[in-house]
Amino acid sequence: MMPYTYLLINFFTVIICFLASFDRRIQFNKLFGKFLLSSTIVAVPFIIWDIWFTAKGVWWFDLNYTLGAKIAGLPVEEWLFFYCIPFACVFTYYCLEKFFNLDWANVLNNLIVFTAVIFLSVTGILYYERIYTLLTVIVTIITLCYLHFIAQKEWLGKASFVYLLLMPGFFAVNGILTGSLIPSPVVNYNPDDFLGVRMGTIPVEDAVYGYSQFLLNIYFFKKITKNEK
Amino acid sequence: MNFLIVFGVCIFMEGATWLIHRYIMHGFLWCLHRDHHDHSHNGKLERNDLFFFIFASPAIALLYLGVKQEFSYCFFIGLGISIYGMAYFFVHDVFIHQRAKVFTKTKNPYFLAIRRAHKQHHKHLGKEEGECFGFLWVPVKYFKMYFNKK
Repeated sequence: MMPYTYLLINFFTVIICFLASFDRRIQFNKLFGKFLLSSTIVAVPFIIWDIWFTAKGVWWFDLNYTLGAKIAGLPVEEWLFFYCIPFACVFTYYCLEKFFNLDWANVLNNLIVFTAVIFLSVTGILYYERIYTLLTVIVTIITLCYLHFIAQKEWLGKASFVYLLLMPGFFAVNGILTGSLIPSPVVNYNPDDFLGVRMGTIPVEDAVYGYSQFLLNIYFFKKITKNEK
Repeated sequence: MNFLIVFGVCIFMEGATWLIHRYIMHGFLWCLHRDHHDHSHNGKLERNDLFFFIFASPAIALLYLGVKQEFSYCFFIGLGISIYGMAYFFVHDVFIHQRAKVFTKTKNPYFLAIRRAHKQHHKHLGKEEGECFGFLWVPVKYFKMYFNKK
């Protein structure tokens, strides 16, 4: 059973969303192709980052939890991760946007970007020698500033609110990967390369990096499905 | 004590904002602030957005220094500036521009007064002859206007 752990995590992340996609009221199945395209655009830089950090030893995988096949140093399950997580996230955002009016959250766009830029910059300058922290901070600041000031997307607040709603799922998936509920972590982190602040077992950087990845997935998905607002 | 510093800085910032807005943004940096008033800028990025970073930078620098000095007063000054900035965006976006459909029917005289003053400020498209440069505190006549009605 153990070698299937990571694969099962991916499987349970998508399965409910996948089945619900065929619901007559949702029909997300018609957008599968577009989702694959948009998530690939986002996955490329993030996978390169992942390959780099794995090679550098910032983090490493316990292969006992995987089937053993590797591509570019990453277990296949890790490659799947970059499609499974975005799938659940984009699907959730798509449904919530379809059935609820969450536009009220967009009033907080300026506030979110201002607070995040200050908080992340200070953290980045203070801990610049910790590479996971530094890169997470840089990527998130650039993502937020690009979406807010240059692309001028109105939905930042709404997306941030949905990200909050996704937190229980995030804690479940990332929690198990970082060692909650199982004897040892699937993903291990070099203590010199991140802050060492963990939420349960999850490094706080994971939540921030997940946020920028989520925002970029929404951005490209909207762009490709022309669901701009 | 630290709380007092944060609180004091927030109050001080309202004054500083007035001065900066009156004499810098409507002064030698009018070139950056202009497109906020007359929407003359065609590109997507408003030059006025640069003020976002101009106001954030001292806060970032002070917070950084403060943490380095084991949470000296610099940290709390930086925190005060950050909190003022957050309050600014909150009040500006939620109550003045009502970008969300909440509080649209507020009868609160304070909010009506600052909204009125903000509108008055934006009536002037030019650099000179502006009025109502304050933000959370505006000329008393606007408060009188609404508090007396009550």
